[in-house]
Amino acid sequence: MKKQQPYNELVAELQQLVRKLESGEADIDESIKLYEQGTQIVQQLEQRLQEAENRITSLQATMEQAEAE
Amino acid sequence: MVPEYDLAAGMPDTAVSVSDFVDLLNETYEFAFPSIVVSGELANLRVSKNKWLYFDLKDDGASVKFFGTVYQLPGPLEDGMLLNVRGTPHMHEAYGFSVNVQTIQAAGEGSIRRAAELLQIKLEAEGLFAADRKRRLPYPPERIGLITSGQSAAYADFIKILAARWAGLNVAHIDVQVQGEIAPLQIVEAIETFNTMAEPPEVLVLIRGGGIPEDLAAFSTESVTRAVASSRVPTLVAIGHEIDVSLAELAADVRASTPSNAAELLVPDKATVLSDVAQTAERMYTVLVDRIEDERSDLNTVSQSLQQAVSRQFDHTRRHLEQYSELLMTLSPEAALRRGYSVLRTAKRKQITDEAGLPKVGDDIIIQHHLAELAATVTNVEQRRHP
Repeated sequence: MKKQQPYNELVAELQQLVRKLESGEADIDESIKLYEQGTQIVQQLEQRLQEAENRITSLQATMEQAEAE
Repeated sequence: MVPEYDLAAGMPDTAVSVSDFVDLLNETYEFAFPSIVVSGELANLRVSKNKWLYFDLKDDGASVKFFGTVYQLPGPLEDGMLLNVRGTPHMHEAYGFSVNVQTIQAAGEGSIRRAAELLQIKLEAEGLFAADRKRRLPYPPERIGLITSGQSAAYADFIKILAARWAGLNVAHIDVQVQGEIAPLQIVEAIETFNTMAEPPEVLVLIRGGGIPEDLAAFSTESVTRAVASSRVPTLVAIGHEIDVSLAELAADVRASTPSNAAELLVPDKATVLSDVAQTAERMYTVLVDRIEDERSDLNTVSQSLQQAVSRQFDHTRRHLEQYSELLMTLSPEAALRRGYSVLRTAKRKQITDEAGLPKVGDDIIIQHHLAELAATVTNVEQRRHP
């Protein structure tokens, strides 16, 4: 399974992209590309937050294992 | 070696050696009291060689000696405290009777509070609660190590609020007892387990709901407090209600007032973040539209100046042309005719010039005037002398 990009990284990427877009450094072609990338990240974030569920796993402390042995 | 005696069959009649007696007594103690909790007031507490622990527990009627190690201390103790001590009675071959300590717990509200106070003073002096030791928790963390009782309301509240606020979290849970003798040991083990994982969680969450001081005591023991303070993974601790402050909470990087509050501090609220993301998306769109608008306006400006430049060039050329045309007009013979001059031509319409030679008397000529052409005959030729 491909490892998901961490949420924080996605947000950082989006922020950087918006900053670049706002600075006007990029030419118009690049600006449109940045905007497209941005909307993709936004969709990913929304999807992640709305559809993903928290995964809860149970672990055993080493002590309990040791006692069982 | 313990001699083979059948205890059930009753005591032997024959005499036993002192050593055998001690062995027999200890075997009997271990059989009868593998583990017993004795409650009493602490007296004559003494530590030897920084390792061995000697004290008495007493009440109005009796006093019993105890022996253990400093590692079994829940924290600093002082004479007069009420303790619950678990141990096994033992007859030492040289030093006589004592109870070998397994665990020590403060008992009764007063002693618990006093024990916590003493421990707090000690750990504070060591800098365990110092503000500059506090680390920031990752926000939001993706992997969480949760230490609490799986049966507790604290667990249920924490998981519920977490799910309502955030998504995609990995919560690894170690089920521990959160009160009683075994609790501190299990909690310390759980903290250690998370810390030694190949991929440890990004944050450790230690929580327990409210209870009487005795129930919360595990979270103010020295071992748990030290384990929290020394955890390499940043810690978030919430014990009891808002007003209860355990030493583990003081040692934690972040303290939450309740288990629910712990979940609130740990992750942002999904709804807020979604609205932020939507705003960012909108801002991005506005920026792009503005950008396109700017480009269009720049393009208009360039296109206008281009048109102006071209039309200036046109005007210029046209003016030139007009000037030439006026010049041409003034140079035209028609203009001379209009001024009253006439042109003489031969009958064959050849202009009479110096080169062509003058007509002779009798020749037919044409006089070209601006109003008409007149046919004439030369009657006289008188040469003009040139000046």
